[in-house]
Amino acid sequence: MDTRKISRFFVYFFLTLGALIMLLPFFWMFSSAFKTTQEINRFPPQWLPSRLSLDNFKRAFEMAPFARYFMNSVIVMVCSVSITTFTTILAAFAFSRLRFPGRNVIFSLLLSLMMIPFEMLIITNYTTVVNLKIYDTLYALILPFTSSIFYTYILKNFFDSISDSLYWSARIDGSSNWRFLWKVMVPMARPSLMTIILLNGLASWNSFMWPMYVVVSKENRTLPWGLQVFTTEAGSYPELLMAASTVVVFPVVILFLFARKYIVRGVARGGLKG
Amino acid sequence: MRVVLDHITKKFGDFTAVSEFSAVLEDGELVSLLGPSGCGKSTLLNMLSGILPVSGGKIFFDDQDVTAMPPEKRGIGLVFQNYALYPHMTVMGNICFPLETQKVPKAERIERANEIARLVHVDMLMNRKPSELSGGQQQRVAIARALVKNPRLLLLDEPLSNLDARLRLEMREEIRRIQQRTGVTTIFVTHDQEEALSISDRIVLMRSGVLQQNDLPQRLYNEPANQFVADFLGNPPINNIPGTIQNGLFVTEDGIAEAKLPMLEGVENGRKVNLSVRSESFVLDANGPIACDVTRMYQMGKEEMAYLRMGGHDFRAYIDADAGLKAGDHVRLGLKKRGVFLFDRETGERIR
Amino acid sequence: MKKKQTADRELGNRSFLSKIEPYLYLLPFAIGIAVFTLYPVINVVLMSFKEGYSHLSRNFDQWGLANYQTVINDPKFAQAIGNTLKYVLLVVPISTCIAVVVAYLLNQKLRCSALFQTAYFLPMVTSITAVGLAWKLMYNKNFGIINYLLSFIGVDKIPWLENAAWSIPALVIFGVWNILPFTIILLLSGLQNIDPQYYTAARVDGSKGLRIFLRITVPLLAPTIFLVCIVNTISCFKVFSELYPLFNGKPGPFNNLYTVVYYIRYAMMESRKYGIAAAAALILFLFIFAFTMVQLLLQKKAKKR
Repeated sequence: MDTRKISRFFVYFFLTLGALIMLLPFFWMFSSAFKTTQEINRFPPQWLPSRLSLDNFKRAFEMAPFARYFMNSVIVMVCSVSITTFTTILAAFAFSRLRFPGRNVIFSLLLSLMMIPFEMLIITNYTTVVNLKIYDTLYALILPFTSSIFYTYILKNFFDSISDSLYWSARIDGSSNWRFLWKVMVPMARPSLMTIILLNGLASWNSFMWPMYVVVSKENRTLPWGLQVFTTEAGSYPELLMAASTVVVFPVVILFLFARKYIVRGVARGGLKG
Repeated sequence: MRVVLDHITKKFGDFTAVSEFSAVLEDGELVSLLGPSGCGKSTLLNMLSGILPVSGGKIFFDDQDVTAMPPEKRGIGLVFQNYALYPHMTVMGNICFPLETQKVPKAERIERANEIARLVHVDMLMNRKPSELSGGQQQRVAIARALVKNPRLLLLDEPLSNLDARLRLEMREEIRRIQQRTGVTTIFVTHDQEEALSISDRIVLMRSGVLQQNDLPQRLYNEPANQFVADFLGNPPINNIPGTIQNGLFVTEDGIAEAKLPMLEGVENGRKVNLSVRSESFVLDANGPIACDVTRMYQMGKEEMAYLRMGGHDFRAYIDADAGLKAGDHVRLGLKKRGVFLFDRETGERIR
Repeated sequence: MKKKQTADRELGNRSFLSKIEPYLYLLPFAIGIAVFTLYPVINVVLMSFKEGYSHLSRNFDQWGLANYQTVINDPKFAQAIGNTLKYVLLVVPISTCIAVVVAYLLNQKLRCSALFQTAYFLPMVTSITAVGLAWKLMYNKNFGIINYLLSFIGVDKIPWLENAAWSIPALVIFGVWNILPFTIILLLSGLQNIDPQYYTAARVDGSKGLRIFLRITVPLLAPTIFLVCIVNTISCFKVFSELYPLFNGKPGPFNNLYTVVYYIRYAMMESRKYGIAAAAALILFLFIFAFTMVQLLLQKKAKKR
């Protein structure tokens, strides 16, 4: 008997089994989103809906302003990611290329700040948001997330790897730092930037805890929190809840199918910052 | 443009990289900064470009003191050892970059870029990215980018060391050709003495931050200022036979052999010297002053290289193949006028 | 070419604009960090020492350790710490072991590795609320798919989310599922960094499969495993969002899964005692710090062996 073939079979078998377990919640979410109330409350459970109708989605959108939630999530994500990317590019450039006293010390200090859990900072940030009178607005969801030490660290590392001679070459040609940054460094950093933007976007889209603290009214909720709140309204209609959940999850799934490599690479690199 | 370096010094903490370096480089010259690794030649180049500030001394470009001037104002072109081409731009984009910075209008930019590209022979590669070019092509583009802004000084840092041997020969001629066409004062750094000898108008030889000799290539070869210069230039390296002067004779160090040479006249007794003779400066002479034995013979085309031993010291000489020497022969050699020197063994100073 | 030496001298003779230039680049970044990271850190630390702190008036009675005393003596906090520790000590080892096996399997040259990767990595990018609600549905005692599948091996319907005892494995399973993708990615990356020559050498020595795995792979993977444990420990200590969708915002069916982050939240939002919340937050941080240090020390010791 070919032991290699047997072991390969087992490898595939276990991996497939595991994959099915991993995917089960998603499968259940998507299929339930199309079921009727009777189909959901049936035992033994029905695997697939009998019809693919968008009724649940329509009703969910009627019962809670999911369109609004969706838009809020998009606005918050686009704003905070673009601002963060901008500040990150500038800061990474400063830490990588520009000279100023205490540069390395400050950077090490920042790295140590990364260790502080957000759960600890919420206490004050909550008060700050109230004091700035942006409580319960989208600003409260955007402004605290305009810079990131983590992404700056990643980008700075990349900038460091670009040879000095490119910089001096441009300087000798009379190029200003600003020009060099945007015409040379940033185009060369496209892969790293893609990773940062993707990770940042995902974090923003899925962000749950902070919006829970600082946003109360319907108009300003983002999707995850809106979804959670919907559990009261949807009550005994889990199919509506699943429809809403699908709305939250689906864009990300699509994105993942396309950008998987970037995301995985980014997480690996970021995780290894250890 | 005339470049004057006046007592340039560069210190890094306690370490002195360049020490009291002075030289004048005339307009339109192709000068090589030559020397072994760590001699300070790249440091000097960086000070000329303004990337590295000087610790002492002054630099003048055409009577203008540029010592404190930042690199972008000096009007120089610089070609790095790794070319530093922007990988995400095409060749055209790379060459145009300096002109863009100077806000030259687009039409003029393209025209000037094409003109320079024609000069350096990359005009058919304008749409390629650097990763699609060979080493030699990349270097041409780097040169084009440096020249497109009509600099008054062109600096090249070891331009040929990243190329393979054959390309090196070709490119050094190209550099020479381009330099002559544009007439721009050019300084290039190299550790390869053959390279420097073949294309420079002038060679500046450095060692441990100190200028050894600044002269025409042939003069460094034929009139070395000191032992180091004689040793550095020339392939095969110059033959050094150590000895002392005793009673007007050159006696080898182990006392075995001696030679009576007219050049020794006037040298004081007891002085420790090196008799330095280029391999091509020996002749077979039955009455010659150098008595030696043949240890090995190598045939190299039209000439033969003889490995000889005089009193325990080995040296090489080019011998006419027809002479029919073989190992074990005892011969006498004479010395030509050129390529024969006497150096003080302790100071390296040239005595004769 | 390395020109790092240019820094020291250049600082001297530069125009004013070029001197402040770096600070201009840092300014946008610095504002965000200063207001929402640096200031809060200092504020929270100080707040924890302000006895009788009122967040409305910003007044407090005096500096002292009263807040810490209250927290430490609070049985609820002890419960919170206990629950949090239970969670950490269950989720981290379980997820690490599973992830090591999965990463090892994924590292073999497979066809459709893209499909497998998608399957195993998807939970990482999706909203924890959304998937949590899906799990909640799956955990349903009467209609949930999990109980249905278990019925095939003769297990009776388990009241996953309604029973205090079963709520723990319910949470842990969900937690492991959630953290698995990230763990697998890191371990996979670590595996790929192992020089294949080690495997070749082992095979030449006659070792096979399991032996290679235990004697070669795992030890070489050790640094990554340590890293994964540390990172996961830190994130598991902050368990909160995993609970919310499963138990509708409550920490467990009978508040039995009360965690430290919940404690902090209640101190803030319900009792409005910010000083207490701050003290609890700091204690949490210290716990995380201590655990991390211990793991690092263990790692050093293991290296020495």
